Amino acid sequence: VFAGVRQAQWLTKTKLVEGLPPAVQGIVDNPALGLQELEERVKHAVSHARLWDTAEVAPRRERYCPMLFENLIHICRSMSGKYPSLSKRMLARNCRIAATWERESILLQVRGLSGILMNSMTPIAPVASEEEILATREHVLETFYPIAPTIDLQEVNVYKELNDTGRCFRDGYPYSHPHTLFFLESANVRTDRFRPEQLRAKMLMFAFGNALARAKALHGNDPKVLEQPIVVQSIGTDGQLFQFMVFQLNTTDLVSNDGVKNLVWIDSDQNLYERAQCVPEVKKRVVTKPAGISGFQPDTFKKFLALYLHGTV
Amino acid sequence: MAALGSWRLLRPSSRRWFSETVPGAPSPPASLLYPPVVASITANSKAAKSRRLQRFNQRVHAAATVEEKLRLYGKLQRPKYMVYPQTFALNADRWYRSFTKTVLVPGMPPGAAAAKRPVAAAGATPETGRDPEPRAEAPGDAEAPGAAKTPEPVAGAVPYLDVGELRSLACDALLQESFYQSKKRPFLYRDQDHTPGPFLTQLVSTLAASLSGRNPLLAASSLDLNPKVNYYWHHGEEVVVHGHRKGRVDPVRFQIDDNPHLQIRVPKQLPEVVPLESDLGDVPVIDHKPSKLPLFKKQYENKVFIGSKVADPCCYGHTQFHLLPDKLKRERFIRERLEDQIEVVYRSNGIASLFAWTAAQAMYQGFWSEADVTRPFVSQAVVTDGKYFAFFCYQLNTLALTAETIKNNPRKNICWGTDSKPLYDVVEDGNVKGFNDEVLLQLVRFLLNRPKEL
Repeated sequence: VFAGVRQAQWLTKTKLVEGLPPAVQGIVDNPALGLQELEERVKHAVSHARLWDTAEVAPRRERYCPMLFENLIHICRSMSGKYPSLSKRMLARNCRIAATWERESILLQVRGLSGILMNSMTPIAPVASEEEILATREHVLETFYPIAPTIDLQEVNVYKELNDTGRCFRDGYPYSHPHTLFFLESANVRTDRFRPEQLRAKMLMFAFGNALARAKALHGNDPKVLEQPIVVQSIGTDGQLFQFMVFQLNTTDLVSNDGVKNLVWIDSDQNLYERAQCVPEVKKRVVTKPAGISGFQPDTFKKFLALYLHGTV
Repeated sequence: MAALGSWRLLRPSSRRWFSETVPGAPSPPASLLYPPVVASITANSKAAKSRRLQRFNQRVHAAATVEEKLRLYGKLQRPKYMVYPQTFALNADRWYRSFTKTVLVPGMPPGAAAAKRPVAAAGATPETGRDPEPRAEAPGDAEAPGAAKTPEPVAGAVPYLDVGELRSLACDALLQESFYQSKKRPFLYRDQDHTPGPFLTQLVSTLAASLSGRNPLLAASSLDLNPKVNYYWHHGEEVVVHGHRKGRVDPVRFQIDDNPHLQIRVPKQLPEVVPLESDLGDVPVIDHKPSKLPLFKKQYENKVFIGSKVADPCCYGHTQFHLLPDKLKRERFIRERLEDQIEVVYRSNGIASLFAWTAAQAMYQGFWSEADVTRPFVSQAVVTDGKYFAFFCYQLNTLALTAETIKNNPRKNICWGTDSKPLYDVVEDGNVKGFNDEVLLQLVRFLLNRPKEL
């Protein structure tokens, strides 16, 4: 996607807000969570994924990126001893998402494998207040004339307008609310991986797709402004850099360019650690870089955990 | 010798090949006069060979770090038998027991089975292997109507086990993987990756998460997906059959390379089940060569690995979960009229994988065949094909299985194992029919196992 998040914003009629929403930030700053003790465990998790996991010298990204994600999720899940409602979540891997919408007479569709999806039984409460939603009416969507907004999108003849995450899960599924999407850029070769900007755009599109499908399943296919906005979160990483995103769907009326817009909060390029050295680097008989994890940032994990706990705390 | 001694005293001028100089003080004890008379290092004799072996053993004993010890232990590469834990070989569990000096005891160890009473109607649940604590029994008369939720215990802070909630977690995981999530058709002969694999992952991760409040060991644990476990050992002797080393007597080398589906590693060791020197049965003795099983030889790197490197603080094992591949499914055995071999598959998987894991854990602590373990290493495993579950608990009492060290070694390794039981009967229309609580409770008992101090 060419211009990255800006193009995705136009396509999904969204207003961007930098940083995390105050509700999530409140969870991060909440001292009752006991995030300090978890620091040690997170360091071990990172070391395990990056250094200790394999019998060879250093694991490759295809291995350490999913492994790091699994370790972090395991730490987050073990918090369900403290918050029993956390057990009402279920991870679904390899689920296919499909959503269609119209945008100024261009029919757009999002389809594909959307990484790992975490579902919960209860929806997340709307993050933005009523005034903020109404204030988005004045916001003008950025266009990038003369480049058409649909640049770099594949034009396809679609014979069936597939429309719901109900295609992914059957009716009656108890964990029906999409909570968080996880994207792991784990290709070994750098050119196969998405750059951070493109990753954020991909996260936005898929979060939007999931939210839209859920909205259509709940309220039907008519475009309108939603009284109960739907919130879907999204986390993307390549093993070191983390991108956090909270998306709130306020309206399914996407044909026109004005009116209430959707909102997205993005916290981008959070490093979990600076470097992970498997073998100490020695120059001229002096150890310049010792083996181990250096530059560990516990705040990134706090945000990860806050997004995980959002909705139950 | 006496003549030599006096001649030396008469000729004090240095004879260069005596490394000791003649001391000026009067007659030191005779043991210091000459260097110790030992076999040569380089000669082609049995004494020289044993001296070389002793020097190697001393080198390994004196290694500074565990990584160095492991490197020296597996330095020499020779053709070795590859032992596969998941095998279709007939009666493989007898062979594996003889290779690993393991005694198989049917049923679960008594400490685990007795203490845990499931919460059926009322009553708090004591934990496995715990010292008796003052525990308030929930009032028997305050029955909860309808659902299997239990009433709050009177003392308030005493944890109880909510079987209904765990059952619903298990059923949800099962239904999601088999019914609710729409997936493409399974690939050919990859049925196990389609539904039972993801179901097992979901089940274990959600159960471990919900029980981590109860078991602080689980809260500090590390969950590995698709880890590798390797172990290399010598057992017995044979004569080399062909090649340039023909006719020499060599130890029989084995290597296990295992891929459990899921594994939980913990920073503290599980408590011993029975004392180190207990004798609970007999190890089968098989007179044939291992290649008759069939087992095949290959020469490659001698790896010892528990799932992560030595530097990891979670260096002890807790529970492994194995998924049987399509090749070993029950229908295939029934079709070929080998029904009795179905249990053999589960048992051989349990014994071989657990032996490799516990022995590798022991090696990570510095023990090896010449330096035998001073405390038993205990780990657990669950072997399943998606529907049928078999539980195993293994206690490693000895690593000394080589030809010299096994001679005076009365210790045996012990493996407790159950038969495979189904967790459910069938999944239909969003309902799980015939859910078996016993299997779930045994799984929960396994996950709640922890050292006595915690």
